[in-house]
Amino acid sequence: MVLWLTLKEKSRSLIHLFLPPSLHNLYAVAVNLHRGKILGVTYTIPPFSESGMVLYNSISEHPPWLRNGPSTDNMASVRAASRLLPKRILSKTKAVPAAAVHGSRNFHFSIYGKKKNAQVSNDISTQYPVVDHEFDAVVVGAGGAGLRAAFGLSEAGFNTACITKLFPTRSHTVAAQGGINAALGNMEEDDWRWHFYDTVKGSDWLGDQDAIHYMTEQAPAAVVELENFGMPFSRTEDGKIYQRAFGGQSLKYGKGGQAHRCCCVADRTGHSLLHTLYGRSLRYDTSYFVEYFALDLLMENGECKGVIALCMEDGSIHRFRAQNTVIATGGYGRTFFSCTSAHTSTGDGNAMVTRAGLPCQDLEFVQFHPTGIYGAGCLITEGCRGEGGILINSEGERFMERYAPNAKDLASRDVVSRSMTIEIREGRGVGPDKDHVYLQLHHLPPQQLATRLPGISETAMIFAGVDVTKEPIPVLPTVHYNMGGVPTNYKGQVITYTDGADKVVPGLYACGEAACASVHGANRLGANSLLDLVVFGRACALTIAEEHKPGEKLSPLKPTAGEESVANLDKLRFANGSLRTSEVRLNMQKTMQAHAAVFRTGSVLKEGCDKMDAIYQTMDDLKTFDRGIVWNTDLVETLELQNLMLNAVQTIHSAEQRKESRGAHAREDFKDRVDEFDYSKPLQGQEKKPFDQHWRKHTMSYVDPKTGKVTLEYRPVIDHSLDEQDCARVPPAIRSY
Amino acid sequence: MARHSKLQKQVLALYRQFLRAGQDKPGFIPRIHDEFRENARIKKTDVMHIEYLYRRGQRQLEQLKDVNTKQLGTFSKTGEKS
Repeated sequence: MVLWLTLKEKSRSLIHLFLPPSLHNLYAVAVNLHRGKILGVTYTIPPFSESGMVLYNSISEHPPWLRNGPSTDNMASVRAASRLLPKRILSKTKAVPAAAVHGSRNFHFSIYGKKKNAQVSNDISTQYPVVDHEFDAVVVGAGGAGLRAAFGLSEAGFNTACITKLFPTRSHTVAAQGGINAALGNMEEDDWRWHFYDTVKGSDWLGDQDAIHYMTEQAPAAVVELENFGMPFSRTEDGKIYQRAFGGQSLKYGKGGQAHRCCCVADRTGHSLLHTLYGRSLRYDTSYFVEYFALDLLMENGECKGVIALCMEDGSIHRFRAQNTVIATGGYGRTFFSCTSAHTSTGDGNAMVTRAGLPCQDLEFVQFHPTGIYGAGCLITEGCRGEGGILINSEGERFMERYAPNAKDLASRDVVSRSMTIEIREGRGVGPDKDHVYLQLHHLPPQQLATRLPGISETAMIFAGVDVTKEPIPVLPTVHYNMGGVPTNYKGQVITYTDGADKVVPGLYACGEAACASVHGANRLGANSLLDLVVFGRACALTIAEEHKPGEKLSPLKPTAGEESVANLDKLRFANGSLRTSEVRLNMQKTMQAHAAVFRTGSVLKEGCDKMDAIYQTMDDLKTFDRGIVWNTDLVETLELQNLMLNAVQTIHSAEQRKESRGAHAREDFKDRVDEFDYSKPLQGQEKKPFDQHWRKHTMSYVDPKTGKVTLEYRPVIDHSLDEQDCARVPPAIRSY
Repeated sequence: MARHSKLQKQVLALYRQFLRAGQDKPGFIPRIHDEFRENARIKKTDVMHIEYLYRRGQRQLEQLKDVNTKQLGTFSKTGEKS
C-alpha cells in the first residue's frame, strides 16, 4: 500500500528539517507501507516524466539515511511528517476527494496489465484480479445433493467444477441423523405407492405429485445404489438393510398401521451418506474449488451462464462460465435464533436466485423439528421415537395420544411440534420455567440404545448433561428444515411462472434443500430429505446429460459480467457505518424467532414484517473491521448476512400473506386449511372456489434487493402424477394422524 | 554475491514455472510479475511468511496449469465519479 503525501508550501519548511538540501524541491513523497511498517520511500522531483511516474523506486537507490530500514527514529520522523502533512491523493491533473472513491460503483474490466496510462491513482485504487474458468457444468455446494450431481455429471462425461464454501465432508448433510425412506420391503411387505401416499399426505397436498411420484419410485434404486457405493447401513439378522419406523409412514394408504421403511446407519445416516458420496466422487475427475464463496449467478437475457465466486484463501475473484449451473447450497436455518442448523446454513443459493430476479417458492414453510435439545438447539433424531421413545409432559403423561390417537409420537413433525407447544402454553411444561417437555428413552433396553442410537446418547450427554439410560432429555421444537427454496420441475430444472404456465430458466438447475421441486410441500416427513438429495441430485445430472452434450460451445458473455457482485463486495469490505454485522444478525434472528414461530398470528406477523423491513434498511449502515482480502471472514459473514436477510424478508412476508393453516404454517387466526373445495364435507354440490380465493397454491416471492420490497405471486400445485395408470393421484382429504 | 539459499532457489523455480504456464493465457504474466516483485520485499529471514506464500503459489500454479482456466482480468475501480 502506498500513501502519497503532497507537500504544500507551508509544510515544506518542516520537511527541510529532515531532508538534505538536494531534495528541497521535493513535490511529493510516497511512503510505501506494508502492515504499518514503512518499507521505503519514493519521491518525485520536478520535472515529472510523461506518465507522472516516480523517478526513484527502489530502496537501493535511496540515500543512506533512508536505506537503513525503519529504525525507530526514522519511523518516528516520517510518521510525524505524515501527521503534519495533509494527505491528498495525487492524480495527474487534480486531487480526488476521498469520498469519491467510496461508494462509487464504477468498476471497469480489463485484461490484467494492459493499462493505457500508468495512473498514479492505481496505487491506492482497488483492483480485483478475476480468473476466468470455462467448464461444461458447475455445481454450487458440495453437500449430499451437490456431490451426487457433481459426480453424476462427471460420470456422464461432462467437465464439471464443484464450488463450495466448506470442505465437502463439512457440509450440513453430515449432521443428518435419521435415515432414508425407501420401500424396500425388508421388515414387512411394502409398496412405493404407499410411500407416495404418505408423502403427499405429509405435504398437506401442497406437494407436486409428479415430483413425489418420481422420488418415491426411484427410492429403492437410490438406496441400493448407495449400498453399492459402500454406505454401511445397519443390518437385520439376515443381513438385509435394517429399516426403522419413522414419522408419518404407514402401510396400505394409511390403513395398515405403522410402516418400517426408513433405512438407517445407527443414527448417523447423514455422516455415512456424505462420506460415502465423497469417497465415491474422488473416482471421477471433478474439479473441486474448496473454500470458494459463490457470490452471484451470471445471468444474461434470462439465461444462466455461470457463477462468480470469491476465493477466500487468496482473495481473488473467479468467474466460472458454464452451460449448466446446478444450485445445491442447502437451507437457511440461521435466520432464526434457535435452530438445529450449522452456522453455515445461510441460504446462499436462494439469495443468488433472488438477486437474479427469479422467484423463490414456499419460503414461509419452515419446519420446526419436535426434538431439539432445550438450550443448545442440537438435534435429537426422530429415530428415537421410531425406536420407541415417548414425549412426556410435567404430569408424566404421554400427551401425544390425545393429539394423534393412531400415530401417537410418530405423527407428522408439524403435528407433534404444535402439540408440544400447546402443552407448554397450557402450563404442562417441565423445568423451572415450564418451557419445554421431556423425551423419555430410559424405558428401552440399554443394549438397543447403544446399537441403534449411539450418536444421540453422546449428544444428550454433552449438550444436556443427561444419561439417556436413566433420565429423559429436555426438548423443544426447533427450526430444522426449509421446505421452500428455488422452484424446479420434477427433472430439476429451475422454473418461473409467467402467463399461467411454468417456464424453464435455461442453464439453471437446483437440487437438495435449496430446491423446491416441491416433494415436501407444506411439511416434510422425516427421512425424506436425504432421499430428496440423492434422487434429485442424480435427476439434475441425468437431465443435463439428456439435453446437452459434453464439450458444447459456450454462449458469449459480456466481459463485465459480475461487476455488480464485485462492487457489492468492495462496498462491504470498506463499510464504515455504525452497526456491526453480528448486531444486525442478532436483531434479525430474534425478530424471526419471536414473530414467525410455531404458531403465528396476523398482528404478530404484521409487526414482524415491519420490524424486518426496518432491519433490512439498517443493512446500509453496516461496519466491517477487516479491510484485507485474504481470509476476510468479516466480509464473508457480512455477505452471508445479506443472503440471510433476503431469505428472512421473503419468509415473513409470505407467512403474513398466507391466511390459512397448512402443514408447518399454523395460524391462530385462520385455523383451517382453505382449499378449492371443503374436504371435510362431501364434494357433491360444492362449488369450486376460484384460484385467488383458496390457498392450495405455491407462493412465488420476488425481492428488490435495493429496497427490500417483497412481491408475491401464486402458482398452482401439480396434482397429476407422472403416470396415472401406474400410480394414481391422491385427491386432497382431511389430514389427521 | 552470496549463493541462493534452498528456499530462494525454490522460489525462483516456482517463478519460472509460473511464467512458463502463463504464456498462452492472456493476462497472467503481468500479474505474476507484480506479485513476485511485491513479495520480493519480504525479508530473507521471514521464513514462515515465505513458505506460506510458496505453498499458496504452488496451489495457484496447479490451478493455472489446469486446462479450464482461461484468462485473468481485473475489475478496477475508477477514482472519479462519472
